[in-house]
Amino acid sequence: MFGGGARPGAPGAPGLPFGGIPTELQDGVDRLLKTEPEHGDPTVNFTQRPTAQETRRLTLWSLLTRYPRLLWVSAILIVLMSVTMQAGPFLTEKAIDHGMVPGHHSLTVIGVCAAAYLVLAVTTALAQRSQVKVTGRLAAGVMNDLRVKVFAHLQRLSLDFFTDEKAGVLMSRMTSDIENLQQLLQDGLAQFAIQGLTMVVITIVLFTMNVRLAIITVLLIIPVLTAASLWFRVASGRGYDRVRDGIANVLADLSESLHGVRIVTSHNRQRHNVIHHRNVVGEYRDANNYTAQINAVYGPGTQMLGVLGQAALVGIGGDMVIHHTLTIGALVAFFLYLNRFLQPIQLLVQQYNTYQQGQASVFKLRGLLETAPAVDEGPESTELPPINGRITFEHVSFGYDPANPVIHDVDITIEPGETVAFVGPTGAGKSTLAKLITRFYDPTAGRVLIDGHDLRQVTFASLRRQLGVVPQEPFLFAGSIRDNIAFARQGATDAEVNEAVRAVGLEDMIERMPDGRDTIVHERGQSLSSGERQLIALARAFLAHPRVLVLDEATSNLDLQSETKIEAALDVLLEARTAVLIAHRLSTAMKADRIVVIYDGEVVESGSHSELVAAGGKYAAMYETWISQAETESAGAGAVH
Amino acid sequence: MSRLATRRHDHAHTRPAAELETDPFVPIAEASRYAPPRATIDSDTSKSWLRRAMPIVKAHRGGFLTALSLSFFGLILQVQIPNLLNKAINNSIVFHTVPIHFYVEWILALGLTGGVAGYISRLAIYKTAYSIEFDLRNIIYEHLTKMSFSFYDKVQSGQLISRANSDIRSVQMYMTFAPLILLQCAIVFVAFGFMLSISVPLAFIALVTMPFVYFVSVQMRKSMFPVSWLIQARLAEVATIVDENVNGVRVVKSFAAEDQQLKDLARAATGVEWAYIKDADLRARFTPAVQNLPQLGLVLVLLFGGWMVLQGHLGLGAIVAFNSYLLMMQIPFTMLGMLIMMGQRAAASAERIYEILDERSEIVDKPGAIDLINCKGDVQFDHVDFGYPGGDRPRVLENFDLRLRRGETVALVGRTGSGKSTVARLLTRFYDVTGGSVKVDDHDVRDLTVASLRANIGIVLDEPFLFSVSIRENIAYGKPTATLEEIEAAAQAANAAKFIEELPQGYDTVVGERGYTLSGGQRQRIAIARTLLVNPPILVLDDATSAIDVHVEQQIHRSLSTLMQGRTTLIVAHRLSTISLADRVVLLDDGKIVADGRHSELLESSPLYAEVLARAAEEDGTELSRPPISGGAA
Repeated sequence: MFGGGARPGAPGAPGLPFGGIPTELQDGVDRLLKTEPEHGDPTVNFTQRPTAQETRRLTLWSLLTRYPRLLWVSAILIVLMSVTMQAGPFLTEKAIDHGMVPGHHSLTVIGVCAAAYLVLAVTTALAQRSQVKVTGRLAAGVMNDLRVKVFAHLQRLSLDFFTDEKAGVLMSRMTSDIENLQQLLQDGLAQFAIQGLTMVVITIVLFTMNVRLAIITVLLIIPVLTAASLWFRVASGRGYDRVRDGIANVLADLSESLHGVRIVTSHNRQRHNVIHHRNVVGEYRDANNYTAQINAVYGPGTQMLGVLGQAALVGIGGDMVIHHTLTIGALVAFFLYLNRFLQPIQLLVQQYNTYQQGQASVFKLRGLLETAPAVDEGPESTELPPINGRITFEHVSFGYDPANPVIHDVDITIEPGETVAFVGPTGAGKSTLAKLITRFYDPTAGRVLIDGHDLRQVTFASLRRQLGVVPQEPFLFAGSIRDNIAFARQGATDAEVNEAVRAVGLEDMIERMPDGRDTIVHERGQSLSSGERQLIALARAFLAHPRVLVLDEATSNLDLQSETKIEAALDVLLEARTAVLIAHRLSTAMKADRIVVIYDGEVVESGSHSELVAAGGKYAAMYETWISQAETESAGAGAVH
Repeated sequence: MSRLATRRHDHAHTRPAAELETDPFVPIAEASRYAPPRATIDSDTSKSWLRRAMPIVKAHRGGFLTALSLSFFGLILQVQIPNLLNKAINNSIVFHTVPIHFYVEWILALGLTGGVAGYISRLAIYKTAYSIEFDLRNIIYEHLTKMSFSFYDKVQSGQLISRANSDIRSVQMYMTFAPLILLQCAIVFVAFGFMLSISVPLAFIALVTMPFVYFVSVQMRKSMFPVSWLIQARLAEVATIVDENVNGVRVVKSFAAEDQQLKDLARAATGVEWAYIKDADLRARFTPAVQNLPQLGLVLVLLFGGWMVLQGHLGLGAIVAFNSYLLMMQIPFTMLGMLIMMGQRAAASAERIYEILDERSEIVDKPGAIDLINCKGDVQFDHVDFGYPGGDRPRVLENFDLRLRRGETVALVGRTGSGKSTVARLLTRFYDVTGGSVKVDDHDVRDLTVASLRANIGIVLDEPFLFSVSIRENIAYGKPTATLEEIEAAAQAANAAKFIEELPQGYDTVVGERGYTLSGGQRQRIAIARTLLVNPPILVLDDATSAIDVHVEQQIHRSLSTLMQGRTTLIVAHRLSTISLADRVVLLDDGKIVADGRHSELLESSPLYAEVLARAAEEDGTELSRPPISGGAA
């Protein structure tokens, strides 16, 4: 089953053994997993344009109201619990005043009160049981919706959004920001309601028993405790900010020391760094000590407040009993309620932090959901019919920053079946042109057409399904080699995957693998050589059966053998396809039908290798430098001696 | 002539005194604003985790004693109050034998004293907790700085960070709060004592449900543990999908795989949802019991207490007192279960921390090691055998012999995996040879102090790591006391001055993981400047210019060749242009020297050499060299 969290085979760190699940836990988890039903295939479908439901403004309330039934049931249960929970002192009062006070002895009254107390306690327990279940389901459902919703939106955003700096932020939106809401939804909101209602219920009961004493109690406790709690919230909020910064600095310092350990060691910096780290940790400890001060004041302080309240009750209430303006049972009830009154205020303050965090998360998630993709499908986009693969750049200009164009008025046509190599120095705009073909970006002026269709008028999926892209640095996903090859076509049969494997010449590598095609790729394929990763990416593109292939040549060092293999694979792949090669080596470019020389965002030359060499332009000069470089350098190096 | 001096070296774990000792090879430019850790763990691995941690606990005994004694005092006061209420009701309100203000004053006094005691004891326990955390973090960090490269080859830094973070926290939590919770549990006995003193039978009746509270809460934690583990595992699964989706966004979009990705995520999210529902169901089974069982005790108190009041065996106030005591007892009983859990978690965490602390560095100064002083720069590899530690990994160098005379520049050339970089790592003693020896100025490097050896060898690595500090501090990394002039001169020599001055804050621009992003070539130039500033007699360039444009590289070469004069230099390189800097070229293949001589000689005699060079030229072909023609009409 895919969703099984326990993967006994999961790799630990190579050196230190811990990494998987503790063995004593494994049994418990196994037992748990046996009770898990098949969840069935997900019903969600991706659409580039969000549905009306998805464009609704994100609020906590909008999330909850998707489950009106669960919401109502849990609300009713919460109200019920808040009332039944507070019956104890009330019944105690009745039992004392009508069954125990001298002159009113009655075992029946006591018995009835005790029985009622028992029934209400059981009712509370049952209500609580249902409430936890219902709220748990509500929270789990809402969280699931939210994950799917945010992730779907991430898929809609265009490439410019996914820069390196943002990757970490996006991760935390999908992980910690959503997980922050879990606590709030599962328990926080319910507790908020329960504690709030408890205070209301107790206040009402106190007022029905004795208005004067109720006013005194409420006036005595609420303002002081509220003020103390508000102070605590502000002060501890400030303190936790400091703690957060502190721990972030500690971890950053540790992480850098570990990543830069070779530099640290070769520069004898260990002792300096130990002192620096001590200072950073010391600042973190200071921040923690600051919050300790606040907690040490608030915790015992509120407790003390409770005791002072009791003292006041003894004095004032006792006096009232002596003067017969209060029954003794009511006084007892006041004592008992006083204890129960303090707790909700403290809990509410704690819950408030959860609530605030949750709101902050909702705010951030809303910001993400309201970000519109820079490159989007128009509402009237149509399916791109099967293409022959004629690519036309019509006076195309483009700049990542519109004020700073990197492509100027490019006008080229690539015929179906033709292989065209883009050549030019770094930053000339070769890769950018490729990104315009895949519509990762839209031109700022001019049009890009495939078979006469403006790319802006067709759907993303229909366009990209007919393109095959091999990036410079192949990206592998966690999973088997087979899954990685079949990435482009999920339904691919084994035969099709095998065909792709054969076509690019991956068989021997796969045979060497422990589990063949099903060997799991770890850490984004770092266990494989870059040549092998490249071949997997080529097989992936092959399996997609694209009409147009866009290939960014790898610049990394490959050993001779892998390179020969990749060249052979390319020959297969380019056959009968329109292909755009971003060539970093002239030797690759020479194999293309046509070479387009890009210089400062403009096409300066175009033609076959021999034509361009004969023309004696920039390409010829480039070629000459390349040829002569090796010669002159060897000669020059030789001349040194 | 090199002069040798012997220094005393002790290998104690912490040696605060050593910080004051000035070592000419170890730069320190930051004052310690905090005292070093007070103690470290017991190194006897046969002891239990808690006993191994005892030295740290003992070092903080003052804090522990204050916290424990005051919180015990506070508890005693707290327990008095229900009893006073009981007496106030019976004596002042029902029978008027004692004036009521007597009890009011007592309760007030107890409340205030208890508050103060509570404040001091909490503060003491928190501060002790944070001091222990401070100690643990610093102990681990200091230990990690001492570890050799073979250690870092086998561990993942992410794992080390998690151990140094969450594991420290769980140990610290247990070590500080366990005694406090145990103390809290003491309240049960005291309160029970008071209850007995009021009424023996009622005390037993009231307490009848408490063992169940304990039992249920233990049971609850036991069955919740697998679920919470499952939740964590499944959340991690979601995180993996998101991480790959974000980092592999190009592939996802290129193949229009958004729908598939969304389905994968939805499937994982459903798994999380199910686990959370399971979690809710388990909580639903246990929480109501834990929270409502004490109520049962209260019902019994009401019924039997009421009956006893009618019989005249009990005063009315006892009902109030018993209510209060039962509420007090509820918390310790549930906390006891928590304590057991915390203990298990802390034991596991401690094992993981000790696992790091018990690792020993392989590269240490041997007793009687001498300092390398006035190094001439004579380097010799004498019949060196070497294989990276761990498993059955193949030998990288075999019977490797190489001599670098003072001031000579030698280029090591070879295919990937031929052992070039390993040679450099042995010279700086990042690893120790398995056979033969590496000698500097005729001293086996293992006879020299590590610090003095490394201070005399400047190495520029292929991966130019920069720290998240200013460029100035990055360049001065090996010599934090350097003046700005020295730093600028080094940057100038590495051809980095120009682009640094163009940065928004110049030399004060913060770079690295959490700062301004520089290109690979710029980072390499800063790394070169960093090494040049140290001005070492021996220089090792490990593929240090691979990311720099050829024409920029040539400018560095000019400065480098001036700097190399009089310095022994070992260059590991692919590029022809870099090789041209060397006096002599050594061709390595499979850990053996296959050719040694001048570039022109090798070009003629060794076909492998020609092949290696041809490939290097091919890579530099179009991309890296801009043709010398500029602009012009097409």
